[in-house]
Amino acid sequence: MSSLKIRPGIIVLFIALLAFSPVKVKAQSMTDVSRQLICQCGCTLVLSNCTHHECGSREIITNLLNEKLNQGQSEAAIIQFFVTQYGEQVLSAPPKKGFNLAAWVTPFAALLFGVGVVYVTLKRWVRREKQNHSSVVIEEDERYTRQLEKELKEFNERSFR
Amino acid sequence: MADIGYIALCLALTASVYSAIAYTVGARRRNWPLVTSAKNSLLAVSGLISISIAILAYALVTHNFQLEYVASYSSRDMPLAYLLSALWAGNDGSLLFWAWLLSIFAAIVILQKRNIGQELVPYASSVIAVTLAFFLVLLLFVSTPFHKLSFTPVDGTGLNPLLENPGMILHPPALLVGYVGFTIPFAFAIAALLTKRLGDEWLIMIRRWALLAWLCLGVGLIIGAWWAYVELGWGGYWAWDPVENAGLLPWLVSTAFLHSIMMQRRRGMLKAWNMVLVILTFSLTIFGTFLTRSGVLSSVHTFSESTLGPFFLTFIGVTLFGSLGLLYYRSADLRDEAEMESFISRESTFLLNNLLLIGSTFAIFLGTVFPVISEMVRGVKITVGPPFFNQVNGPIFLALILLAGICTLTGWRRVSIRNLTRHFLWPLLAGLILGIVIFILGVREWYALIGFPICGFVLTTILYEWSRGVKVRHQIRAENYFKAFWCLITTNRPRYGGYIVHIAILLMTIGIVGSSLYDVEQEVTLKPGEMMTIKNYTLTYENLDIYETENRAVVTTTLSVNNHGELVGKLVPEKYFHRSYKQPVTEVAIRTTLREDLYVILLGWDEDNTATFKVLVNPLVSWIWIGGGVFLLGGLIACWPER
Repeated sequence: MSSLKIRPGIIVLFIALLAFSPVKVKAQSMTDVSRQLICQCGCTLVLSNCTHHECGSREIITNLLNEKLNQGQSEAAIIQFFVTQYGEQVLSAPPKKGFNLAAWVTPFAALLFGVGVVYVTLKRWVRREKQNHSSVVIEEDERYTRQLEKELKEFNERSFR
Repeated sequence: MADIGYIALCLALTASVYSAIAYTVGARRRNWPLVTSAKNSLLAVSGLISISIAILAYALVTHNFQLEYVASYSSRDMPLAYLLSALWAGNDGSLLFWAWLLSIFAAIVILQKRNIGQELVPYASSVIAVTLAFFLVLLLFVSTPFHKLSFTPVDGTGLNPLLENPGMILHPPALLVGYVGFTIPFAFAIAALLTKRLGDEWLIMIRRWALLAWLCLGVGLIIGAWWAYVELGWGGYWAWDPVENAGLLPWLVSTAFLHSIMMQRRRGMLKAWNMVLVILTFSLTIFGTFLTRSGVLSSVHTFSESTLGPFFLTFIGVTLFGSLGLLYYRSADLRDEAEMESFISRESTFLLNNLLLIGSTFAIFLGTVFPVISEMVRGVKITVGPPFFNQVNGPIFLALILLAGICTLTGWRRVSIRNLTRHFLWPLLAGLILGIVIFILGVREWYALIGFPICGFVLTTILYEWSRGVKVRHQIRAENYFKAFWCLITTNRPRYGGYIVHIAILLMTIGIVGSSLYDVEQEVTLKPGEMMTIKNYTLTYENLDIYETENRAVVTTTLSVNNHGELVGKLVPEKYFHRSYKQPVTEVAIRTTLREDLYVILLGWDEDNTATFKVLVNPLVSWIWIGGGVFLLGGLIACWPER
């Protein structure tokens, strides 16, 4: 009974805590966009990770990016601008469309296929165990029946003495 | 001297070819003198390659710059440790180091005294000899470290300054021991297939080899991540670079192997699958070596481009398809003896574990080679970087960690619902409470809200399992709790070493999730005396100084650091120009605590001493390195020979 009384209290407390808990708001920033781009100086790093100040392309892309963010352009428009300038290789990940979709979908399709294989394998193993188990029961039943018949026969033959 | 090194390699090639043939013929015809002769010649190969590598090491230490390799990777001002590490700094030297390691492992295999599986040794040694012969061919005809220059330079170029780090002494050897070590399990697997001895024998013989190789590869990867973090100066530790991925791929497959061999040992299951995993692991180690040396994919870690690519591709093709063909030929003899009473059992969790590990391996492999596929199919160059790998692998890795917890408390064969509820109640509650607490504290990112509770759940399952064991020992043997705990671990090292490794993975996961989701960065340009604030830190830029050493021009800056208003120290990020390299090298300054790292990079400066810094606060990174230490401890416990 006491636990029933406590439970609503815990729920109210939990909801109250949720209401007053701080919520982290992710700011749209230079970093968020630059993480989607690759520096073109040959360092193969994501733009936000490139620290080669002397690298010309880092400076150019960063300045352009800053300018476009200040102009209030959307993330998609900025990214499209750089793709037009440098080609798809400027993106830190292939876009989820067309042929590139294969890279995104295939691993999960393969995993799903794998889940199917695992399920079938497990089912086969469990069925084999059941079959073996039931054959043991049949064998044991037959043995028991034979034994019983033998004993009954002996009993009938010898009758009560 | 260099000629002796080269001649030694020529003799080693001849001896290894002879050994491979003599072992196979001798074993098939049961001609034991021939087998002994093959054994002696493989030991001779080991001795000859040792002579060869000793000569190269001597040339490096004595600055014999007439050798092109020595002139390219060492210089007079290098300390002894880095001179020796130059052995694996270049393509040719690292290939020689690979061959030397394999020859030493071969010697250990043939000299090891064993009660079982002696019949497998000749065939396994033959496979090792063939692999050695392949590397010796490369060393003699494609990539020789004993090539002489027509003149003798006064000094050498020296190591790339980025390589002058303790990581250089530890990371490549650890990684290479891991790579090379997997040749032994592969060799015994092929020997088992050839001789039709497909029981547990070969698994017993290779378990420790596989475990050691896996441990070294794992430690090598962690040291590599640490090295990248402190030296490359971009603020991260894993960039999903093709060469990093190449090291991770065999590690993931061998992790699956180490789990699935338990199924074969205990239940006679997955015999063919274990063979597939060994073959895949070996092929992926060769693939990694190919990626590092072929120049087919761009990476900061690759050696300079070479003509080795086609040789490696041919070798991978022959070994992969040859062994899979042999496996298919023997498939009828590899039927499982398996049967299970229920879908819910440890066997099922192991199968899922294998599925997820192989799924992740496939995803990483596909992402790594996809730029090449895209260029071939569409003629368009693309980049597959961290966002792809994180998005695809994140859920798989979290599912794997969750499975580690479920597996710990799930018994073999079948588990009743009652037992399941009883065992999982506390771990589930622990995970749930942790989730609620972090939500209340303001965590809103899905990965953190799922990842941290999963870690809490898995940790509790391990502690629960330990506490059960300790309690039983305490009751039955009247041991005190400390002794019971110690005996629990020492009497079943593989099992409890494995649990310690799981704890290490949890610690690393905490570090990775924390540092990936909650890192904060800022780029600022400051004049001396100016300050900037990032999170709870205030950094004041004090001064810039330029000085020269024998081979470097160094630009150094000093920043005082206040945390919550209290002075906690100074950081000195630098950049320097090495006399032999055009590119400036960044030396980051890091202030490490268990809670977070303050990471400062000097990006650039002006004549008026204005300097531009990139400042990052990376939470929980230390836990990755602590996890690395725990991983090593757990691995060593699991490897340690039983009394």
